[in-house]
Formats: sequence, C-alpha cells, structure tokens
Amino acid sequence: MLSRKKHARAPFAPLLVKELREIVGGRALWIMLLITSALVGYSFFQAVSLYADASAAALQSPALAVSLSPLDGVLVPTFGAHYVAVTLLFPFVAIRSVSHEKETGALRLLIQLPYRVTTLVTAKLAAVLGAFLLTSIPALSVVLIWRLLGGHVAPAETLNLFFGHVLYGLLVGAIALFSASIAEGGASAAIVALAFTIGSWVLDFTVAGRPGLMEWVARLSLTQTLRVFEQGLLSAAVVLGIGIVTAALAGLAAVWLPPGTTLRTKLLRSLACVVVAIIAVAAAAQPKLSVDVTEDQRNSFSPADQQLLANLTAPLSVTVHLAPEDPRYADLQRNVLAKLERVMPQISIRLAEGRRNLGSPGTDEAYGEVAYAYDNRIDVSRSTSHREVLPLIYRLARVEPPAPASGADYPGYPLIANAEPALAWFFGGLPLLIGFVWWWSRLPPSITMSATEVKNERA
Amino acid sequence: MGENSSSPFDGSDRGRSDAFSRSTEPPRLMEVAGLAKAYGDQIAVADVGFAIGQGEILGLIGPNGAGKTTLLESLAGLVAVDAGTVHWRGKALSADRRRDAIFYIPDGIRPYQDQFVAHVLAFFAGVFRTPERTVAGVIASVGLTPVLRKRVNALSKGYGRRLLLALGLLAPHELVLMDEPFDGFDLRQTREIVRVLRTEATKGRSLFLAIHQLTDAERACDRFILLSQGRIRGCGTLDELRVRTGLARGNLEEIFLALT
Repeated sequence: MLSRKKHARAPFAPLLVKELREIVGGRALWIMLLITSALVGYSFFQAVSLYADASAAALQSPALAVSLSPLDGVLVPTFGAHYVAVTLLFPFVAIRSVSHEKETGALRLLIQLPYRVTTLVTAKLAAVLGAFLLTSIPALSVVLIWRLLGGHVAPAETLNLFFGHVLYGLLVGAIALFSASIAEGGASAAIVALAFTIGSWVLDFTVAGRPGLMEWVARLSLTQTLRVFEQGLLSAAVVLGIGIVTAALAGLAAVWLPPGTTLRTKLLRSLACVVVAIIAVAAAAQPKLSVDVTEDQRNSFSPADQQLLANLTAPLSVTVHLAPEDPRYADLQRNVLAKLERVMPQISIRLAEGRRNLGSPGTDEAYGEVAYAYDNRIDVSRSTSHREVLPLIYRLARVEPPAPASGADYPGYPLIANAEPALAWFFGGLPLLIGFVWWWSRLPPSITMSATEVKNERA
Repeated sequence: MGENSSSPFDGSDRGRSDAFSRSTEPPRLMEVAGLAKAYGDQIAVADVGFAIGQGEILGLIGPNGAGKTTLLESLAGLVAVDAGTVHWRGKALSADRRRDAIFYIPDGIRPYQDQFVAHVLAFFAGVFRTPERTVAGVIASVGLTPVLRKRVNALSKGYGRRLLLALGLLAPHELVLMDEPFDGFDLRQTREIVRVLRTEATKGRSLFLAIHQLTDAERACDRFILLSQGRIRGCGTLDELRVRTGLARGNLEEIFLALT
C-alpha cells in the first residue's frame, strides 16, 4: 500500500532546479542579457569619458580631485543602465516563471506536488534572484574592467551599491510574480508589472520635491529605494522595508496562485497580507540605524563631531523657513540635516514654508532662516554649511566643539582612462559568451540509465 | 438527480448497493457525496456521489461537456465546489488536503515545454524521492526511452500523453485521476497503456479515468460511472449495467444511450 506520509514533505532542491531551468530555458533572459550588455557597456564608456574629462582638470588642482569619486562618476551611472534594463525588461523574465506554467497547464500539476504554496513561490523567487544575478554580469564586469583601467574601487561602497541593486531586482521580481499570479496570461501580467515599475518613474517625475502628502507618495517610488544605496548608505529601514514589501508581494502571489480557492477567500487573504505588510513597513521605518559605507564619509560629519553629537541627548528641534523646491533647502538637507538625522538621538525637522513661487519670495523676512532649538535655547542661521551650523548647535548645547581631526582627508581618485577597448567586451566578447552559454544550456542531457537496466527493471 | 446521489456515502450502509455493488467489493478508498459545481447559471456537476475501491479502475464515461473534467478537478481540489463531501478511508478529506491522497493528470496540457523529458522526469522523481530503478521501470513501461533527450515541445501528441502518464505513475499517490488518458494513442498503443494501468491497479493503486471513447473504457475499467449533463445516470460493472438496462449483450455505448 502506498503511504501518505511517504510524500508528506518534498525536498526543495528539485523544485529550485526546475525553476532555474524554466527561467534559463526561456529566451527572455538571454535577450535581456544581450541588451543589458550593450546598455551597460555604452554607459560605462560614457561615464569613463566624462570622468576622464573631469580628471584632466583635477590633476592640475588637488582641491578639485577631492570631488572625484569613482562611485559617483563611474559606478552609479553604469549600474544605472542596469537599473533601466531591470525596470523595463526584467519583469518579462520573472513573469515567465508563473505565466508559462499557467498557459501550459503545468501549474495544475505543480500545485498538487507536496509543497506549500509559499514554498513554490519561494522557489520561484529564488530562481528569479538567480536570473537577476545572471543579468548583473555585465554590470559586475564593469568593476573588473575599471580596475584593469587603473581605476580605484572602494569595496564597501561598491558592494553596498550592488546590494541595493540586488534588493531592487528582487523587488521587481516579486512584483512580476505577483502580477503573473493575478493575471491569466503573460501579456496581461507584463502590463500589470510595468504599471508598477514605470508608474514608479512617473511618481518620481511628478510629485518628488513637493511637500506634505505628495512627499510621502513620492517615497513609494521604487527608484527611491536605490537612491539611498547610491548615496553610500546602508540603511536598516530601507533594507527592512524592501524585504517586507518583497515578502508581501510574494505572499500575495501565494494567495492568488493556486486554483481552487474562491475569489472571496483570495480577497480576504490579500487584505490581511496587505494590512500586515503596512504595519510591518511602518515598524521597520522606525529604526534610524544606517551605516555610511562611503570612503569619503560623505554622509557623516567628522568622527569627533559624530561622537559629540551622539552624546547630545536632549531633543533638537529644527524649523526651516524654506520652500522644499528651494535649492538652499536641498543644500541644507544634504550638508546638515540628513547627517544630523543620522547621528542625533532625538531630532525633529519641520518645514515652516509651503510651496511658493521662487521667482517672488514675497516680503517674509524670515524666509531663508533655519531656527535651531535645543534645551530651551534657540538660535537662527541662514547657512547651509555644517561649518557654521555645528558650532551653533554646540553653543546651544553648551559644549566645547571638538578639536579639528588630524586624520588623512579623502584624496579623490582622478583618472584619465580610455574605455574604448572595453566596448569590444560589451559589444563583442560578452555577447559571444552569452550566446555560447545559451547554446550550451540547450544541449540535451546525458542519460546514464542503460537499456539493459531498463529491461532488467521491466523483468 | 443521479440515482447514486442521495448522499449514500456518509459512513452508513445506506445507499451503498448501487454505487458500489460488486459482490467482491474491494476496500473503499474514497467516497464522494453530493458534489455540486455551477459556473453562474450553468450547472457543471450536480449532486454527484460515488465510491472507488482500493486497486480499482473506475471509468468516468460521458460525452464532451458532460462535466467529467469539472468533476475530476473538483476531486483534486483544483476547483472550488459549491457543495459536497469527500471521504478518504472513512474520514473527511478537505480540498486543501486532497493532494496528499490524490494526484490528477489533466487533459490537454503540455507542461515544461522548454525542458528535456529526462529533466521533467527527474524533477518528479526528485520531488517524490522515487528510486532510480522505479523511474527506469516507469520510463520503460510507458515507452519514453526514445525521447528522453528531446524537449517536451518537440514530442508528438502520443509521446506527450506518455510523459503525462509517466508523471502520474511516478506520483506515489494511492489514487490517480486521469483525464482522457488514451487520447492520442492508436489501438495498439491503447492496449499497451491499458496493460500498464492494469499492472498499477494490481499493485493496489486506484485509478479514476475520464474517457469519452467507450471502447477504450470497456477495455480499461472495472466499473463505470455514466455522466451526462453533470449528473450520474448509471454506475456499476458492465454486467450490472446490462442487467439494469435489460441489454443482455449490450456494449457500453448502447448502455450509455439507453441510460441518458
């Protein structure tokens, strides 16, 4: 008699292998790889050319050299091309892992196998991650080529940037899986997935920089998740937030994937999933923990200032009399406020000005002022530089400013390099390699079972 | 309402005789009662009840649109039903636990088209931890050896059907539901596959086969459920159905026409 317990739990490995084969077996992945190779290669060439132009001037002046960081100059723009490819093309790769099974009827077999639906979706997500890593080969080869050209690579900030892109790829993959699980076919799923990813761009263009609710809506943009990593920050809130949203989308896919469940049940489970995700994201946004992984520590004050500010335990209240779209506010945010938010235990920042016409700032004399209140003492400044704001805060807190640090400053890494030879790799060598691996992946497997063995078994 | 559908399988002896009336009755494996499913106003299956025994091959006979596929998918838990119960060895079996006991091979699917046949079989064997010798036996019994290194999308209809059959045989479930298992086979191949299925039944596995070719059904099945317009019109062995219809030498086709 056949035992039910015998197949109560199935191993994960065959499922994962099957999912990987499904993704690799489709042409979408290989086409995306070819396009990504060209996109990344051209972006790298452009970035290195611009970096070389900037470096030519910087080599005459060490002060200019300080501002030359390979992260900003080469890696972020080059990985940006990968980001574009992932946003527009990767959904088609990931969608296939569900929609192809729906269209061919394989899903009706898969759903009967002794796996939880969440396990099925996890395997699909893992395969999608594997596919993403494959599509990252052109971008990763940029790092190697940049080193070969004599460029400087800071491991921590480079790894952090790549980690951000991996999380973004996983998020796009989860969106694609969810889209495929709710749509009947691949085309409908692609429309839903692109509505998410391209809609996110629209959010960026239309509502970013606006105050109030619009600012909050703009934060929902997928692109925003990458910005933090591009700035060289490893933020617990962002990592947790992306992880939770990815898990929630995978959970929704698990709700909608199996046939045999009523629409009402699916809707109720989806609602529960969304509510839990919202609560979890809100909780994950609370910790302010973030690590500045940049070599030039651009997101931090000097170590001495960092230490002193971290010990100021009373609340610091900052009231900014600037419109959010005022460039001075952007400067203040980048040079002072963002850094203070990272280091000070208790800080609240309030924008006193709404949206206004920058061409006619009006008669408000307070416009442009930033009021700092600490321990019932208030002072006002119009500066957007930490060199003036930090002494002000120290005066309010009645502490002595730290002695200037004597450590080595960031030198900057100017490099005049010619990336033309790299084009041969991105437009020749790599596509050939991709083609070869595709051909190799389509070779029939070797069968170890002999005919004699089969005959013996029959006997 | 079908004649076997008066909730006869609720654990009591009431109503057993009609739906499961062979004198040498095998141990009951699954009992279905009052199963109903409608798509809007259209009734797909209505008040269906029957039982299947251990090691039995039960044929679900009916024309296209009779509700065979809906019934099989309902039993497999792939379609949410409006009413009805399924008992497994006397205990209620909820829809989400059906896959522990039942494996269903749908009709008209061609799964994993870009994969090699060997990989698809290896996947199922890996999932069910099937020993290599058993896998080799299944491959040989359904005649898949010549196409192991082919992609699924390159298979003929017959080999595609053999692959599905092999997947069903690799599943260790005690009851396998198959929708049109002989579709795409010629006479010789059908006989060959019937022999394979018979061998499986002798090992204790039960098979519930939806078949619209009545001659194939006669060859393969121990008992028959005749389904028309979503309702059971008759149930029993061929001899029992002959007695019931008064067609002493009638074949399944004649019996089906007499009952529907």
